[in-house]
Amino acid sequence: MSTSVSSPAAARKTHCPYCALQCGMELTPVETSGPDGRAALPVAVAPRDFPTNAGGLCQKGWTSATVLGVPDRLTAPLVRGADGELAATTWDEALDLVVSRVRSVQAEHGPQGVAIFGGGGLTNEKAYTLGKFARTVLRTPNIDYNGRFCMSSAAAAGNRAFGADRGLPFPLTDLGGADVVLLLGSNPAETMPPFVQHLAGAREHGGLVVVDPRRSATARLTDDGQGIHLQPVPGTDMVVLLALLHVVVAEGLADRDYLATRTAGWDDVVRSVAAWWPERAETVCGIPAEELRVTARRLAAAAPTRGGRGAYVLTGRGVEQSAQGTATVTAAINLSLALGLVGRPGSGYGCLTGQGNGQGGREHGQKNDQLPGYRKIDDPAAREHVAAVWGVDPATIPGPGLPAVALLGSLGTPGGPHALFVHGSNVLVSAPNADKVRERLVALDLLVVCDVVPSETARVADVVLPVTQWAEEEGTMTSLEGRVIRRRRAVAAPGEVRSELWLLAELARRLGSDVTFPTDPAVVFDELARASAGGVADYSGLSHARLDAAEEAGAPGLFWPCPAPSAGAAEHAGTPRMFLDEFPTPNGRARLMPVDHAGPTDDVRGDAPTYLVTGRVLQHYQSGAQTRRVPELDRIVPEPYVELHPQLGLRTGVADGARVRVTSARGSVEAVARWTDAVRPDTVFMPFHWSGAGSVNRVTSDAVDPISAMPEFKVCAVRVSPVTQDAPDAQPVHVTQEVPA
Amino acid sequence: MTLHVPLKVVVAGHGMVGSRLVDELVRRSAESFDITVLGAEPYEPYNRVLLSDVVAGRTEVASISMPAPGGDHVTTLRGVAAVSVDRKVRTVTDSAGAVHGYDHLVLATGSRARVLPLPGLVDGDGAVDLPAGVHALRTLDDAREIVAASVNTPRAVVVGGGVLGVEAAYGLASRGLRVTLVDPSSAPMSRQLDTTAGDVLAAGLRDAGVTLHLGARPREVLVAGGRVVGVRLGGDDGEVVAAGLVVLTTGTVPEAGIAREAGLTADRGIVVGHDLASPDDPRVFAIGDCAQPPQGSRGLVAEGWDQARRLADHLASLVAVRARESRRDAAPREHLRFPQEGERPSMAVRLGTLLASRAPTDQGVETRGTDVVKVKAGALSIVAMGVSGRREPAPGHRAVALHDATAGRYVEVVVADGILVGATCVGDPRVAADLTAAYTRRTPVPVDPAFLLLTPVMPSAEPASSPEHMPEDATVCRCNGVTKHDITRCWDDGARSVDDIAAATRATTGCGSCREAVCGLADWLAETREVGEASAETDVALVHASSGDG
Repeated sequence: MSTSVSSPAAARKTHCPYCALQCGMELTPVETSGPDGRAALPVAVAPRDFPTNAGGLCQKGWTSATVLGVPDRLTAPLVRGADGELAATTWDEALDLVVSRVRSVQAEHGPQGVAIFGGGGLTNEKAYTLGKFARTVLRTPNIDYNGRFCMSSAAAAGNRAFGADRGLPFPLTDLGGADVVLLLGSNPAETMPPFVQHLAGAREHGGLVVVDPRRSATARLTDDGQGIHLQPVPGTDMVVLLALLHVVVAEGLADRDYLATRTAGWDDVVRSVAAWWPERAETVCGIPAEELRVTARRLAAAAPTRGGRGAYVLTGRGVEQSAQGTATVTAAINLSLALGLVGRPGSGYGCLTGQGNGQGGREHGQKNDQLPGYRKIDDPAAREHVAAVWGVDPATIPGPGLPAVALLGSLGTPGGPHALFVHGSNVLVSAPNADKVRERLVALDLLVVCDVVPSETARVADVVLPVTQWAEEEGTMTSLEGRVIRRRRAVAAPGEVRSELWLLAELARRLGSDVTFPTDPAVVFDELARASAGGVADYSGLSHARLDAAEEAGAPGLFWPCPAPSAGAAEHAGTPRMFLDEFPTPNGRARLMPVDHAGPTDDVRGDAPTYLVTGRVLQHYQSGAQTRRVPELDRIVPEPYVELHPQLGLRTGVADGARVRVTSARGSVEAVARWTDAVRPDTVFMPFHWSGAGSVNRVTSDAVDPISAMPEFKVCAVRVSPVTQDAPDAQPVHVTQEVPA
Repeated sequence: MTLHVPLKVVVAGHGMVGSRLVDELVRRSAESFDITVLGAEPYEPYNRVLLSDVVAGRTEVASISMPAPGGDHVTTLRGVAAVSVDRKVRTVTDSAGAVHGYDHLVLATGSRARVLPLPGLVDGDGAVDLPAGVHALRTLDDAREIVAASVNTPRAVVVGGGVLGVEAAYGLASRGLRVTLVDPSSAPMSRQLDTTAGDVLAAGLRDAGVTLHLGARPREVLVAGGRVVGVRLGGDDGEVVAAGLVVLTTGTVPEAGIAREAGLTADRGIVVGHDLASPDDPRVFAIGDCAQPPQGSRGLVAEGWDQARRLADHLASLVAVRARESRRDAAPREHLRFPQEGERPSMAVRLGTLLASRAPTDQGVETRGTDVVKVKAGALSIVAMGVSGRREPAPGHRAVALHDATAGRYVEVVVADGILVGATCVGDPRVAADLTAAYTRRTPVPVDPAFLLLTPVMPSAEPASSPEHMPEDATVCRCNGVTKHDITRCWDDGARSVDDIAAATRATTGCGSCREAVCGLADWLAETREVGEASAETDVALVHASSGDG
């Protein structure tokens, strides 16, 4: 069905395939052919005016059409043959094989022996269907997704404090009117460049505050009096937040009326920050006490209660991907609540969602403990509601399964899953402690990978199924603002490529399930909407048709919650700004929770005296499976590198441009050294988009947050050493103690 | 697994360290303990370190309360001091006459202010009898009274130029009082700073409006009508400094009386071993200011908190041992699965591991990192940690210093075996913060320790502001990876405006931040390329001719 439609002729309005900013773009099919008879690119990309990108696109967006036509695009199912190689086959044969292997795994290990690993880039319709497939067809509790690596700490903290987790509970454009924007662990100038437009207002007022151990591209936006850059020791962001709140309390800057009427738990939080006076914080986080005081006063002055134009506190993966990620986000929320920012127009707390559908992907049942509509899987009422929509007995819906890191760690072990479906994720590159992940994948009886290109993970699969990508499919995404938007098809998928909606329906049928699986995305959405009705993330007032009409009328996308109206009532307009009157908690108040700093799990020590932090570069996305295949992007950043301070280079004998080895308790990687003073002398930085010898996640820590199960990607202890001649793939380098410039 | 009988712990002292211990115990396993806390002060535990901030008017009194751990397993008695210990029957008697049995007793009685036996401060029998207007700075009441007094008098004398004296003097001066600081040494903070650093600090204090009387001892506190009116200094002339407020910051004395009376060894403080237990009784521990561990005590809260953490680990381990023993007696049963090799251990195990990295070494207990002295004096930045090279030179130590009296800056670092073992930093908060991070984490120092004396920056490679001087490979548009060279080339290919450049290179089409720079380049190109279109055409032709592949 998905291959039977020829190229639509007209330009289609859709959104960029990459990050959660979901920049608006227009795709125009191109009929011209290149010299070899192939279409050079199937569509032409043009930016369009959409609130998040205001007509801008970064290089990834501009070149996104290239991924549609990459030479190694998967166009037929592949099955690993007797010779150990993946070979093309028919859908029938591939699915027969999958079904028979799934059945034998189920027979031997029970339903929990089959697991699903999803992705935050999948449409809402696919994410929803994956969760439904796991619970109704496989009846396995073991489904989780790569959003566990991105959003889980912010989600856990947001749910705990506000009773709901919508990354930004306000439209992104609201940022423009604020005096101060405090960014922690986020580098949007690199990760979502058009976002920077929304910081212009704060920068004009000298109010952009960036907390980052690196002088990142975003930190540099504070130069020339446009703001403040605080450069803490890695893993101590929480101390910065505790100290800022200490100053707010000590200097009487809190919004007492707001705290009294809209929150609970303030007294305990006040006591908890009494121990974090700025001078003590300085000894832990490495930021001078007076800078902390100045920052706290600046932030407080921007708060509405003190007559400011507004302030926002925003967190990103840098602080969330930590074994104390949930607590750190809670500290950020406590600070926001103390200043009365949350639920006030023009102020707020938010987390910057990373993946394209990182928001929607965490709402509709891909998470191990969740049912559609952001419902809890152990809530009997939620189970009953969703079971009715699915047409199954509530008792057949499994309970919570293993979260991502534990799921991957248990693959092929006694009691763990022995078959795994991977959708829209490249875990061999993107999961922490990647060498261990490889061991576990190899131990499986069956690994099925659904992808658009032969990713590193697909290459070790038993069965690879070619699926549609952004410009080839219809559906919805939910942006970092919680705005539900339409993804539209502009081109036909090549070869034997099918939608995952078709694939899952087909598997359900072949596995003998009598549960209905629609394959038309609009119909799937309608079912998703019904399943979400009454949940925290209520989509029941939305449909593809309504979203299309809204966009035609110049109001693109609608914000959840958007419940279906009661009979005779007008349509719900959606909720651009949440929490204005009350919080969706049992008592309607936001909850403040005392938290304390524990520090990184894998902290520096004698044999690993340097911190490693990781992050992204503008030209690449996630595991690089897409962007490394785009020549224009690959040309600019073709390989991984290690940023280190010249003092560290001199001490360790690693010259600028030489190859450097970075070793942790888990593994070792090699890459080119780049000297820069943008990192602290006690820290090295590596981007994480590559596989192989320079794949930094072979080194990162798989310690997890006790609440969110988010792995501690962002800080671990390493040893930095030069790559010597005996290393087989290293250039001979003669490093001498260079005289500093 | 809960125990049949929880461990009975009596904590004598409800200050910063005693309350922290209770908090640490409750966090580890509340139901394993039955804790009784005796606090002499009537208040909830508060942050004593911030009293000087209260005096300085930088911190509201209401904000210094600390967590008061409670729950079913903690009984806290406020305004009740421990007065005696009977170690034979393991009981503590409190000031209200109640008797508390213990399995383990923790003395966290803190210290009291030392008061010089000067005329005016002691009565005829030598007992302390402070007149109105004279205060130590040890308790919340002291701080409140000093704040109240500061409103009614324009002049204050601070006696004792240690850390607390410097903080108090600076704080009162910032309230607008005329403050005189009296200290017998030649420079303030002589316990932490060598005289060069002390001189830099003295200059900073004078700039802040504090009058210093150094090398001077107070001889007498002058009292009229029961109120202090001034301080007479020692020396031949017997100079009198008028003051309606005198703050005594002449050190502290550990509260060790109860231990002495119970027959426990006490020197300056209650003597304890590396395990924080008294050598005379393994059931009695002392932590915080009242204790005297083998490596000595500096009276810093970080030390006390570190001791509280270690002692909580120890007491929790006793519970675990008892739990194991009781399990061994029990019938075989399904027990908690321990992490398999390669898996992440539980949070509790991880915390234990983390702590173990700072736990006993062959020299006893590694406490380095808890001895950072950071003075809270607003714009005056003073930090001292570890050893001082000039005051305590040692073989194998390499001391490097920067002395910049004009700028009010002094930095000394002491390096041994590739790590920082001590540092002093006055007047440079950035460097101080970096040194603290390096010292507490024991990160390796640069090849030349002198690098530590300055903020480590290298010359910035920011793009030159003028288009002409911008390097060819400088990135102009980050969002789209467009260099000056790309823009120049597209101009030579026919682009004549910013819009043309945007269409050809996508520069300016991301976040738009580079629009100004691209405009500048376009103007510059229009100006420079205009001169001789003809020769430009020749150039273009040559370029095309030489790039054969088209």
